[in-house]
Amino acid sequence: MKCATSLLTTAEGAVADIRTQIGPVDGKWVIFFASSDYDPQLVSAAMQQAFPTATTCGCTTAGEIALGHMTKHSLVAMVVGDDLLEDVAVQVVTGIGAGVDLSAAVAAFEQKFGEPASKWRHDRYVGLVLIDGLSKAEERINDAIGNLTDVSFIGGSAGDDLAFKATHIFANGESYGDAAVLVLLKTRHGFGTIKTQSFRATERVLVATRVDEAAREVLEFDGRPAAQVYAEAVGALDGDIAPFFQNHPVGLMLDGEPYVRSPQQRKGDAIAFYCNIAEGMELTVLEGTSIVEDTRAAIAKAETELGGIAGMINFNCILRTLEIEQRGLTDAYGALFADIPTVGFSTYGESLIGHINQTAAILAFKSP
Amino acid sequence: MNGQAKRLIDAIIAQRSGGNPTLMITTRTKIMLKGVNPERFLTSTPDDPVIINKLRQIGRDLGVNV
Repeated sequence: MKCATSLLTTAEGAVADIRTQIGPVDGKWVIFFASSDYDPQLVSAAMQQAFPTATTCGCTTAGEIALGHMTKHSLVAMVVGDDLLEDVAVQVVTGIGAGVDLSAAVAAFEQKFGEPASKWRHDRYVGLVLIDGLSKAEERINDAIGNLTDVSFIGGSAGDDLAFKATHIFANGESYGDAAVLVLLKTRHGFGTIKTQSFRATERVLVATRVDEAAREVLEFDGRPAAQVYAEAVGALDGDIAPFFQNHPVGLMLDGEPYVRSPQQRKGDAIAFYCNIAEGMELTVLEGTSIVEDTRAAIAKAETELGGIAGMINFNCILRTLEIEQRGLTDAYGALFADIPTVGFSTYGESLIGHINQTAAILAFKSP
Repeated sequence: MNGQAKRLIDAIIAQRSGGNPTLMITTRTKIMLKGVNPERFLTSTPDDPVIINKLRQIGRDLGVNV
Protein backbone atom coordinates (compact mmCIF):
# COMPACT_ATOMS: atom_id res chain seq x y z
CA MET A 1 0.00 0.00 0.00
CA LYS A 2 1.37 3.39 -1.00
CA CYS A 3 0.04 6.94 -0.78
CA ALA A 4 0.98 10.13 -2.58
CA THR A 5 0.04 13.82 -2.69
CA SER A 6 0.52 16.30 -5.49
CA LEU A 7 0.05 20.05 -5.31
CA LEU A 8 0.68 20.55 -9.02
CA THR A 9 -2.12 22.59 -10.53
CA THR A 10 -2.91 20.76 -13.75
CA ALA A 11 -4.64 17.39 -13.81
CA GLU A 12 -2.06 15.86 -16.12
CA GLY A 13 0.85 17.22 -14.07
CA ALA A 14 -0.61 16.14 -10.73
CA VAL A 15 -1.37 12.63 -11.97
CA ALA A 16 2.13 12.26 -13.42
CA ASP A 17 3.54 13.47 -10.10
CA ILE A 18 1.43 10.89 -8.22
CA ARG A 19 2.54 8.12 -10.58
CA THR A 20 6.21 9.05 -10.05
CA GLN A 21 5.85 9.08 -6.25
CA ILE A 22 4.08 5.73 -6.20
CA GLY A 23 6.82 4.15 -8.30
CA PRO A 24 6.64 0.89 -10.19
CA VAL A 25 3.80 -0.61 -8.16
CA ASP A 26 1.06 -2.56 -9.90
CA GLY A 27 -1.85 -1.79 -7.65
CA LYS A 28 -5.06 -3.75 -7.70
CA TRP A 29 -7.15 -0.76 -6.65
CA VAL A 30 -6.42 2.96 -6.71
CA ILE A 31 -8.59 5.38 -4.78
CA PHE A 32 -8.00 9.09 -5.26
CA PHE A 33 -9.45 12.34 -4.08
CA ALA A 34 -9.13 15.50 -6.13
CA SER A 35 -9.73 19.16 -5.44
CA SER A 36 -12.52 20.59 -7.56
CA ASP A 37 -9.86 22.87 -9.08
CA TYR A 38 -8.97 20.03 -11.45
CA ASP A 39 -11.02 19.27 -14.53
CA PRO A 40 -12.95 16.21 -13.29
CA GLN A 41 -13.01 14.26 -16.54
CA LEU A 42 -9.33 14.95 -17.20
CA VAL A 43 -8.20 13.86 -13.74
CA SER A 44 -10.27 10.66 -13.79
CA ALA A 45 -9.11 9.70 -17.29
CA ALA A 46 -5.48 10.50 -16.44
CA MET A 47 -5.57 8.41 -13.26
CA GLN A 48 -6.94 5.39 -15.13
CA GLN A 49 -4.30 5.87 -17.82
CA ALA A 50 -1.57 6.12 -15.20
CA PHE A 51 -2.73 2.91 -13.49
CA PRO A 52 -4.03 0.91 -16.46
CA THR A 53 -4.24 -2.47 -14.74
CA ALA A 54 -5.93 -1.18 -11.58
CA THR A 55 -9.55 -0.48 -10.76
CA THR A 56 -9.67 3.28 -10.12
CA CYS A 57 -12.27 5.38 -8.36
CA GLY A 58 -12.59 8.57 -6.32
CA CYS A 59 -14.34 11.89 -6.10
CA THR A 60 -13.92 15.64 -5.75
CA THR A 61 -13.39 17.11 -2.31
CA ALA A 62 -13.42 20.07 0.05
CA GLY A 63 -9.83 19.38 1.10
CA GLU A 64 -7.56 16.36 1.07
CA ILE A 65 -5.58 14.25 3.56
CA ALA A 66 -2.49 12.12 2.88
CA LEU A 67 1.01 11.47 4.15
CA GLY A 68 0.26 13.07 7.51
CA HIS A 69 -0.94 16.40 6.10
CA MET A 70 -4.24 18.11 5.41
CA THR A 71 -4.01 19.89 2.08
CA LYS A 72 -6.13 22.03 -0.24
CA HIS A 73 -6.15 22.25 -4.04
CA SER A 74 -4.32 18.94 -4.30
CA LEU A 75 -4.66 15.41 -5.62
CA VAL A 76 -4.13 12.50 -3.21
CA ALA A 77 -4.11 8.79 -3.98
CA MET A 78 -3.73 5.40 -2.37
CA VAL A 79 -2.66 2.30 -4.24
CA VAL A 80 -3.69 -1.00 -2.70
CA GLY A 81 -2.16 -4.24 -3.89
CA ASP A 82 -3.17 -7.87 -3.81
CA ASP A 83 -1.29 -8.34 -0.55
CA LEU A 84 -4.34 -6.76 1.11
CA LEU A 85 -7.10 -7.27 -1.45
CA GLU A 86 -8.27 -10.54 -2.91
CA ASP A 87 -10.54 -8.74 -5.33
CA VAL A 88 -12.34 -5.46 -5.99
CA ALA A 89 -15.32 -4.38 -8.07
CA VAL A 90 -16.82 -0.96 -8.79
CA GLN A 91 -20.33 -0.08 -9.85
CA VAL A 92 -21.69 3.36 -10.74
CA VAL A 93 -25.29 4.28 -9.99
CA THR A 94 -26.54 7.31 -11.91
CA GLY A 95 -29.63 9.49 -11.67
CA ILE A 96 -29.70 9.25 -7.86
CA GLY A 97 -31.50 12.57 -7.46
CA ALA A 98 -34.60 11.10 -9.09
CA GLY A 99 -34.50 7.73 -7.36
CA VAL A 100 -32.23 5.03 -6.01
CA ASP A 101 -32.21 1.47 -7.30
CA LEU A 102 -29.13 -0.54 -6.37
CA SER A 103 -30.38 -3.92 -7.53
CA ALA A 104 -28.34 -3.90 -10.78
CA ALA A 105 -25.17 -2.90 -8.90
CA VAL A 106 -25.64 -5.64 -6.32
CA ALA A 107 -26.39 -8.19 -9.04
CA ALA A 108 -23.16 -7.21 -10.80
CA PHE A 109 -21.22 -7.67 -7.55
CA GLU A 110 -22.84 -11.06 -7.02
CA GLN A 111 -21.80 -12.15 -10.51
CA LYS A 112 -18.25 -10.82 -10.10
CA PHE A 113 -17.65 -12.48 -6.72
CA GLY A 114 -19.62 -15.61 -7.52
CA GLU A 115 -21.83 -15.62 -4.47
CA PRO A 116 -25.10 -13.97 -3.49
CA ALA A 117 -25.04 -10.85 -1.31
CA SER A 118 -26.50 -12.86 1.56
CA LYS A 119 -23.33 -15.01 1.59
CA TRP A 120 -20.80 -12.15 1.60
CA ARG A 121 -18.82 -12.56 4.79
CA HIS A 122 -19.16 -9.31 6.72
CA ASP A 123 -15.71 -9.77 8.26
CA ARG A 124 -13.96 -10.12 4.89
CA TYR A 125 -16.01 -7.98 2.52
CA VAL A 126 -16.28 -4.23 3.00
CA GLY A 127 -17.91 -1.67 0.78
CA LEU A 128 -17.12 1.92 -0.04
CA VAL A 129 -19.70 4.42 -1.16
CA LEU A 130 -18.94 7.82 -2.68
CA ILE A 131 -21.97 10.00 -3.35
CA ASP A 132 -22.60 13.27 -5.18
CA GLY A 133 -22.50 15.65 -2.23
CA LEU A 134 -25.23 17.91 -3.55
CA SER A 135 -27.71 15.17 -4.42
CA LYS A 136 -29.44 14.91 -1.02
CA ALA A 137 -29.68 11.20 -1.88
CA GLU A 138 -27.35 9.94 0.85
CA GLU A 139 -30.07 8.68 3.20
CA ARG A 140 -31.83 6.76 0.43
CA ILE A 141 -28.60 5.21 -0.81
CA ASN A 142 -27.41 4.14 2.63
CA ASP A 143 -30.86 2.83 3.48
CA ALA A 144 -30.99 0.79 0.26
CA ILE A 145 -27.51 -0.62 0.89
CA GLY A 146 -28.49 -1.60 4.42
CA ASN A 147 -31.60 -3.38 3.17
CA LEU A 148 -29.68 -5.37 0.56
CA THR A 149 -26.62 -6.50 2.50
CA ASP A 150 -25.08 -6.88 5.95
CA VAL A 151 -21.66 -5.89 4.62
CA SER A 152 -20.51 -2.55 6.04
CA PHE A 153 -20.37 0.24 3.49
CA ILE A 154 -18.32 3.26 4.54
CA GLY A 155 -17.71 6.45 2.63
CA GLY A 156 -18.48 10.06 2.09
CA SER A 157 -20.17 12.68 -0.01
CA ALA A 158 -18.07 14.42 -2.63
CA GLY A 159 -17.23 18.09 -2.14
CA ASP A 160 -16.37 21.06 -4.31
CA ASP A 161 -14.19 23.23 -2.04
CA LEU A 162 -17.27 24.85 -0.47
CA ALA A 163 -18.55 26.29 -3.77
CA PHE A 164 -21.71 24.12 -3.50
CA LYS A 165 -22.14 24.15 -7.28
CA ALA A 166 -21.14 20.71 -8.59
CA THR A 167 -19.44 17.62 -7.17
CA HIS A 168 -18.11 14.70 -9.17
CA ILE A 169 -17.64 10.96 -8.70
CA PHE A 170 -14.91 9.05 -10.54
CA ALA A 171 -14.78 5.45 -11.68
CA ASN A 172 -12.65 3.63 -14.25
CA GLY A 173 -11.55 6.79 -16.05
CA GLU A 174 -14.93 8.50 -16.19
CA SER A 175 -16.46 11.36 -14.21
CA TYR A 176 -20.09 11.45 -13.12
CA GLY A 177 -22.54 13.91 -11.57
CA ASP A 178 -25.82 12.99 -9.88
CA ALA A 179 -24.25 9.62 -9.17
CA ALA A 180 -22.79 7.31 -6.57
CA VAL A 181 -20.00 4.79 -6.88
CA LEU A 182 -20.18 1.57 -4.91
CA VAL A 183 -16.98 -0.37 -4.36
CA LEU A 184 -16.92 -3.90 -2.98
CA LEU A 185 -13.58 -5.03 -1.57
CA LYS A 186 -12.77 -8.61 -0.63
CA THR A 187 -9.97 -8.21 1.89
CA ARG A 188 -7.35 -10.84 2.64
CA HIS A 189 -6.82 -10.05 6.32
CA GLY A 190 -9.96 -8.23 7.40
CA PHE A 191 -10.63 -4.65 8.34
CA GLY A 192 -12.17 -2.36 10.93
CA THR A 193 -14.33 0.70 10.74
CA ILE A 194 -13.77 3.70 12.96
CA LYS A 195 -16.57 6.15 13.66
CA THR A 196 -15.44 9.09 15.72
CA GLN A 197 -17.26 12.31 16.49
CA SER A 198 -16.14 14.72 19.15
CA PHE A 199 -19.26 15.34 21.17
CA ARG A 200 -20.72 14.44 24.52
CA ALA A 201 -24.45 14.20 25.17
CA THR A 202 -26.17 16.87 27.25
CA GLU A 203 -29.33 16.24 29.27
CA ARG A 204 -31.48 18.14 26.76
CA VAL A 205 -33.55 15.99 24.39
CA LEU A 206 -35.65 17.47 21.55
CA VAL A 207 -38.41 15.59 19.75
CA ALA A 208 -38.90 16.45 16.07
CA THR A 209 -42.68 16.85 15.95
CA ARG A 210 -43.01 18.41 12.49
CA VAL A 211 -40.52 18.00 9.68
CA ASP A 212 -40.07 18.40 5.94
CA GLU A 213 -37.96 15.30 5.31
CA ALA A 214 -37.31 15.98 1.62
CA ALA A 215 -35.91 19.42 2.44
CA ARG A 216 -34.06 18.09 5.54
CA GLU A 217 -35.86 20.74 7.63
CA VAL A 218 -37.24 20.49 11.14
CA LEU A 219 -40.22 22.81 11.48
CA GLU A 220 -41.06 22.03 15.11
CA PHE A 221 -39.33 20.51 18.11
CA ASP A 222 -41.58 19.53 21.01
CA GLY A 223 -44.60 21.05 19.25
CA ARG A 224 -43.10 24.54 19.04
CA PRO A 225 -41.03 26.42 16.43
CA ALA A 226 -37.77 24.53 15.99
CA ALA A 227 -35.49 27.57 16.05
CA GLN A 228 -37.04 28.82 19.29
CA VAL A 229 -36.75 25.47 21.07
CA TYR A 230 -33.16 24.96 19.89
CA ALA A 231 -32.26 28.50 21.05
CA GLU A 232 -33.60 27.72 24.53
CA ALA A 233 -31.76 24.40 24.61
CA VAL A 234 -28.34 25.84 23.79
CA GLY A 235 -28.76 29.11 25.69
CA ALA A 236 -28.93 31.45 22.69
CA LEU A 237 -30.59 34.17 24.70
CA ASP A 238 -30.97 36.61 21.81
CA GLY A 239 -32.26 33.91 19.47
CA ASP A 240 -29.16 34.08 17.23
CA ILE A 241 -28.64 30.33 16.92
CA ALA A 242 -26.18 30.03 14.02
CA PRO A 243 -23.06 30.59 16.18
CA PHE A 244 -24.10 27.57 18.27
CA PHE A 245 -24.43 25.11 15.36
CA GLN A 246 -20.80 23.93 15.18
CA ASN A 247 -20.44 23.10 18.87
CA HIS A 248 -24.02 22.01 19.48
CA PRO A 249 -25.39 19.73 16.77
CA VAL A 250 -27.96 17.11 17.75
CA GLY A 251 -27.62 13.36 17.76
CA LEU A 252 -29.63 10.19 17.62
CA MET A 253 -28.32 8.22 20.59
CA LEU A 254 -27.90 4.45 20.59
CA ASP A 255 -25.89 2.59 23.21
CA GLY A 256 -24.40 5.94 24.30
CA GLU A 257 -23.11 6.64 20.79
CA PRO A 258 -24.31 9.74 18.89
CA TYR A 259 -25.25 9.65 15.19
CA VAL A 260 -24.80 13.34 14.53
CA ARG A 261 -27.22 15.57 12.64
CA SER A 262 -25.72 19.02 12.05
CA PRO A 263 -27.80 22.17 11.72
CA GLN A 264 -27.04 24.01 8.49
CA GLN A 265 -29.04 27.22 8.67
CA ARG A 266 -32.05 28.88 10.23
CA LYS A 267 -34.97 29.22 7.85
CA GLY A 268 -37.45 31.46 9.65
CA ASP A 269 -38.79 29.38 12.53
CA ALA A 270 -37.39 26.18 11.03
CA ILE A 271 -33.87 24.72 10.99
CA ALA A 272 -32.35 23.08 7.93
CA PHE A 273 -29.96 20.21 8.66
CA TYR A 274 -27.23 18.47 6.65
CA CYS A 275 -29.01 15.19 7.36
CA ASN A 276 -32.55 13.94 7.18
CA ILE A 277 -34.53 13.91 10.43
CA ALA A 278 -37.75 11.91 10.55
CA GLU A 279 -40.85 12.95 12.43
CA GLY A 280 -40.88 11.55 15.95
CA MET A 281 -37.12 11.18 16.23
CA GLU A 282 -35.68 12.01 19.66
CA LEU A 283 -32.52 14.05 19.34
CA THR A 284 -30.05 14.79 22.10
CA VAL A 285 -28.35 18.19 22.10
CA LEU A 286 -24.59 17.58 21.91
CA GLU A 287 -21.61 19.52 23.19
CA GLY A 288 -18.21 19.60 21.50
CA THR A 289 -15.06 17.93 22.83
CA SER A 290 -11.52 17.65 21.37
CA ILE A 291 -11.34 16.42 17.77
CA VAL A 292 -7.61 15.71 17.86
CA GLU A 293 -7.63 13.82 21.16
CA ASP A 294 -10.82 11.89 20.39
CA THR A 295 -9.54 10.86 16.94
CA ARG A 296 -6.17 9.84 18.37
CA ALA A 297 -7.93 7.65 20.95
CA ALA A 298 -10.24 6.10 18.33
CA ILE A 299 -7.33 5.15 16.07
CA ALA A 300 -5.36 3.73 18.98
CA LYS A 301 -8.35 1.62 20.05
CA ALA A 302 -8.81 0.28 16.53
CA GLU A 303 -5.10 -0.49 16.25
CA THR A 304 -5.27 -2.54 19.43
CA GLU A 305 -8.45 -4.35 18.40
CA LEU A 306 -7.11 -5.17 14.92
CA GLY A 307 -3.59 -5.99 16.06
CA GLY A 308 -2.14 -3.51 13.58
CA ILE A 309 -3.41 -1.31 10.76
CA ALA A 310 -1.88 -1.48 7.29
CA GLY A 311 -3.63 1.61 5.97
CA MET A 312 -6.65 3.86 6.40
CA ILE A 313 -9.12 5.83 4.31
CA ASN A 314 -10.50 8.81 6.22
CA PHE A 315 -13.83 10.35 5.30
CA ASN A 316 -13.61 13.49 7.43
CA CYS A 317 -16.54 15.90 7.63
CA ILE A 318 -15.85 19.37 6.22
CA LEU A 319 -17.38 20.82 9.42
CA ARG A 320 -14.65 19.07 11.41
CA THR A 321 -12.05 20.40 8.99
CA LEU A 322 -13.38 23.94 9.40
CA GLU A 323 -13.24 23.61 13.19
CA ILE A 324 -9.73 22.15 13.01
CA GLU A 325 -8.65 25.11 10.89
CA GLN A 326 -10.33 27.65 13.19
CA ARG A 327 -8.52 26.19 16.19
CA GLY A 328 -5.15 26.08 14.41
CA LEU A 329 -4.99 22.28 14.66
CA THR A 330 -4.45 21.39 11.01
CA ASP A 331 -0.92 20.09 11.56
CA ALA A 332 -1.89 18.23 14.74
CA TYR A 333 -4.81 16.49 13.04
CA GLY A 334 -2.78 15.61 9.95
CA ALA A 335 -0.03 14.19 12.14
CA LEU A 336 -2.48 11.62 13.54
CA PHE A 337 -2.23 9.93 10.14
CA ALA A 338 1.53 10.22 9.65
CA ASP A 339 2.50 6.78 10.96
CA ILE A 340 -0.08 4.73 9.05
CA PRO A 341 -0.50 5.08 5.27
CA THR A 342 -3.68 7.12 5.02
CA VAL A 343 -5.61 8.93 2.35
CA GLY A 344 -8.81 10.88 2.81
CA PHE A 345 -10.80 13.96 2.12
CA SER A 346 -13.07 16.57 3.66
CA THR A 347 -16.59 15.44 2.87
CA TYR A 348 -20.04 16.93 2.54
CA GLY A 349 -21.37 14.06 4.68
CA GLU A 350 -20.20 10.67 5.90
CA SER A 351 -21.66 7.22 5.36
CA LEU A 352 -21.51 4.30 7.78
CA ILE A 353 -24.69 2.25 8.06
CA GLY A 354 -26.47 5.56 7.47
CA HIS A 355 -25.79 9.15 6.53
CA ILE A 356 -24.11 11.10 9.35
CA ASN A 357 -22.52 14.50 9.96
CA GLN A 358 -19.55 16.00 11.83
CA THR A 359 -17.93 12.59 11.98
CA ALA A 360 -14.78 10.90 10.72
CA ALA A 361 -15.72 7.56 9.20
CA ILE A 362 -12.47 5.66 8.70
CA LEU A 363 -11.81 2.35 6.98
CA ALA A 364 -8.81 0.58 8.52
CA PHE A 365 -7.19 -2.35 6.69
CA LYS A 366 -5.95 -4.96 9.12
CA SER A 367 -2.25 -5.71 8.93
CA PRO A 368 -1.25 -9.16 7.63
CA MET B 1 -51.64 -4.26 25.28
CA ASN B 2 -48.01 -3.52 25.96
CA GLY B 3 -44.65 -4.50 24.54
CA GLN B 4 -45.53 -5.36 20.94
CA ALA B 5 -42.98 -2.88 19.56
CA LYS B 6 -40.20 -4.43 21.62
CA ARG B 7 -41.19 -7.91 20.48
CA LEU B 8 -41.12 -6.80 16.84
CA ILE B 9 -37.74 -5.08 17.27
CA ASP B 10 -36.29 -8.18 18.93
CA ALA B 11 -37.69 -10.40 16.17
CA ILE B 12 -36.27 -8.22 13.38
CA ILE B 13 -32.85 -8.14 15.03
CA ALA B 14 -32.83 -11.88 15.74
CA GLN B 15 -33.89 -12.88 12.21
CA ARG B 16 -31.66 -10.44 10.34
CA SER B 17 -28.56 -11.07 12.45
CA GLY B 18 -28.93 -14.81 12.86
CA GLY B 19 -27.57 -14.27 16.36
CA ASN B 20 -24.27 -12.78 15.17
CA PRO B 21 -23.33 -10.10 17.77
CA THR B 22 -21.85 -7.71 15.20
CA LEU B 23 -24.89 -7.94 12.97
CA MET B 24 -27.19 -7.49 15.99
CA ILE B 25 -25.58 -4.10 16.63
CA THR B 26 -25.71 -3.19 12.96
CA THR B 27 -29.37 -4.13 12.69
CA ARG B 28 -30.24 -2.14 15.83
CA THR B 29 -28.55 0.86 14.25
CA LYS B 30 -30.40 0.38 10.96
CA ILE B 31 -33.72 0.30 12.82
CA MET B 32 -32.82 3.50 14.66
CA LEU B 33 -31.81 5.29 11.47
CA LYS B 34 -35.10 4.23 9.90
CA GLY B 35 -36.87 6.14 12.65
CA VAL B 36 -37.50 3.79 15.58
CA ASN B 37 -34.98 3.87 18.41
CA PRO B 38 -34.81 0.36 19.94
CA GLU B 39 -33.72 1.81 23.29
CA ARG B 40 -37.08 3.55 23.73
CA PHE B 41 -39.21 0.42 23.77
CA LEU B 42 -39.65 -1.92 26.71
CA THR B 43 -42.00 -4.80 27.48
CA SER B 44 -44.07 -2.26 29.42
CA THR B 45 -44.34 0.27 26.59
CA PRO B 46 -48.00 0.77 25.54
CA ASP B 47 -48.68 -0.35 21.99
CA ASP B 48 -48.86 2.44 19.41
CA PRO B 49 -50.31 1.44 16.01
CA VAL B 50 -48.17 4.02 14.20
CA ILE B 51 -44.97 2.52 15.60
CA ILE B 52 -46.19 -1.05 15.02
CA ASN B 53 -46.90 -0.29 11.36
CA LYS B 54 -43.55 1.42 10.98
CA LEU B 55 -41.77 -1.62 12.44
CA ARG B 56 -43.65 -4.00 10.13
CA GLN B 57 -42.46 -1.90 7.18
CA ILE B 58 -38.89 -1.93 8.54
CA GLY B 59 -39.13 -5.70 8.77
CA ARG B 60 -40.24 -5.90 5.14
CA ASP B 61 -37.42 -3.54 4.10
CA LEU B 62 -34.89 -5.76 5.84
CA GLY B 63 -36.35 -8.88 4.32
CA VAL B 64 -37.55 -10.49 7.53
CA ASN B 65 -40.96 -11.90 8.29
CA VAL B 66 -42.46 -10.34 11.44
